[in-house]
Amino acid sequence: MFLAWREIRQNKLRFALVTAVLLLVSYLVFFLSGLASGLAGLNREAVDKWQADGIYLTDESDKSLTQSMMEADLADEVEADEAAVLAQTNLIADNGDVKSGVALFGIRPDEFIMPEPTEGNGFSEEFEVIASDSLKEEGFSIGDELDLSGSEETLTITGFTDEARFNAAPVLYMNLDDFEKVRPGAAALAQQDEIAGQEEQSGMVNAIVVRGAQPGDVPEDLEYMESETFIENLPGYTEQNLTLTFMIYFLFAISAAVVAIFLYVLTVQKISMFGVMKAQGISSAYLSRSVIAQTFILAVIGVLIGFGLTVLTGQFLPAAVPVSFDYGMMAIYGAVLIVVAILGALVSVWTIVKIDPLEAISG
Amino acid sequence: MTEHVLQMDDVTKTFGSGRTEVRALKKTSLDVNRGEVIAIIGPSGSGKSTLLTIAGGLQGPTGGEVRIAGERITELGEKDRSKVRLEHVGFILQSSNLVPFLTVSDQLKLLDKVKKGNMKKDERDGLLEELGITKLAKKYPNDLSGGERQRVAIAKALYSNPSLLLADEPTASLDSDRAFEVMKLLKSAAVKKNAATIVVTHDTRLTDYVDKVYKMVDGVLHLEADKGGAEPLEEGRTDFLEKGGNEDGI
Ligand SMILES: Nc1ncnc2c1ncn2[C@@H]1O[C@H](COP(=O)(O)OP(=O)(O)O)[C@@H](O)[C@H]1O
Ligand SMILES: [Mg+2]
Repeated sequence: MFLAWREIRQNKLRFALVTAVLLLVSYLVFFLSGLASGLAGLNREAVDKWQADGIYLTDESDKSLTQSMMEADLADEVEADEAAVLAQTNLIADNGDVKSGVALFGIRPDEFIMPEPTEGNGFSEEFEVIASDSLKEEGFSIGDELDLSGSEETLTITGFTDEARFNAAPVLYMNLDDFEKVRPGAAALAQQDEIAGQEEQSGMVNAIVVRGAQPGDVPEDLEYMESETFIENLPGYTEQNLTLTFMIYFLFAISAAVVAIFLYVLTVQKISMFGVMKAQGISSAYLSRSVIAQTFILAVIGVLIGFGLTVLTGQFLPAAVPVSFDYGMMAIYGAVLIVVAILGALVSVWTIVKIDPLEAISG
Repeated sequence: MTEHVLQMDDVTKTFGSGRTEVRALKKTSLDVNRGEVIAIIGPSGSGKSTLLTIAGGLQGPTGGEVRIAGERITELGEKDRSKVRLEHVGFILQSSNLVPFLTVSDQLKLLDKVKKGNMKKDERDGLLEELGITKLAKKYPNDLSGGERQRVAIAKALYSNPSLLLADEPTASLDSDRAFEVMKLLKSAAVKKNAATIVVTHDTRLTDYVDKVYKMVDGVLHLEADKGGAEPLEEGRTDFLEKGGNEDGI
């Protein structure tokens, strides 16, 4: 550390440049990781909020919620501590001023996926819904009457709840009994049923969500999966995540390369100085440790400033930017950046080890 | 054990082979005792630096044997030779061998970081005093004159209490007044610290301050003058000392 610190103090500009590069890379990495977790949240926060262990879909649905259709009665057959039925459809809601694509969830108010309203009230009358509070920012408010695409009925917002987005769409929760009447094509279905003379029509759901599942004995035609598996199979979710993760990994590689090049240039400039020190008997190990220590100092400073800048920027972003900071993840990425910078410094270590003190002396 | 700090027996050094072969050093033997200061003069390319770097364990000889403080360094690998250098050898080079981003006092402190048994504080202050660089302690090499830098280099080389002090043209970058001054300081500091000292120079006027003068010509080393009193001066050789600059090969 003796040499490391003193050299940094004497060559502030040089080392400030290395630090600046690390700062910018870490800023970008932190931001991308924020974006990754923000986008992930957009897709999954409603599911996460249920705190469910797993979900049953039909085995023909290939883990797709919209393709899964089953009798609500099957909820009695699954083995779990708690089970909740879920019907879902995507449609456009229009309050007269704004339109928004939403995910409409039909649930039973006495089951565990029923959300607590964070504002307003839950649904009690027919066609009332609890809406995702992200709709507030889009211009929806309590009391709004919503025209729906593909249905003649209108819904009324009675309350908002937080963390209610599913597959990038705000969620409207409503009573399963009413849901049947709004589901697109419901009218046609009802007609068919009349023709067929069926009475028990209200009872189709898309999924059964469970807590404390013992999925040893899965009812026929159903398939059990853990919540995480279900989320990974949401359309676009895995692809989006992988894209951002790859970008972050590329940034790691880039920062290793940039640090390696920078430090190598600095080291090459100091070859004769290192040679003289080696002639004196100062070991390569000592000189190498000094370069590593330097890199460590610069990387820590760069990453910390990058972290600070990221958090600061986060304060000023419009709500529409889906950034959410997962500090645990950021700490891991920060640590990886530091390790990666040190790997870059190994090129310089190798250079130092190879310096022949004789050449420096007879220069 | 012997009182010789440096013993070189039948040392040879050949670079290359076949048509490009250069016999930089022909069979050379040289012993230097503690407190003894010798000078090696000779034209450029005669093998002086080669001899010095072999003596300091910076490169191995082609043949023969070298001992520093009784240890046969010819058989050691670079890592162990590096330890021997740290323990026993101080180098002073033609141009400053100072670390540009360390102050004068930090140049010495660096040695404390890598080695124990350097000078105590009062001993160090005495050395700086003697070399006239006490006031420079907080300065960086760039802010020093050439003469000051070489004096700091001497302090640095002696600070680790080396038993063998090797200086390769330490005054080459200085004007003659400074050169005399630095040479005088080098000699008195080395004697005080009881180091065996070899100074390579092509400036024959500087040899006034040394005990023995060797001359290197084409890889062969002769004793030119011995002013130590133990051995009589070889006849007809002393006038060389007055001859002046015609040995200057650079
Ligand atoms: N590493 C080397 N490779 C090849 N030849 C060398 C090497 N070092 C020195 N020589 C040759 O050895 C001879 C003696 O060189 P040197 O000891 O540097 O002379 P001096 O210091 O007296 O000027 C010269 O001919 C030089 O070219
Ligand atoms: Mg030379």
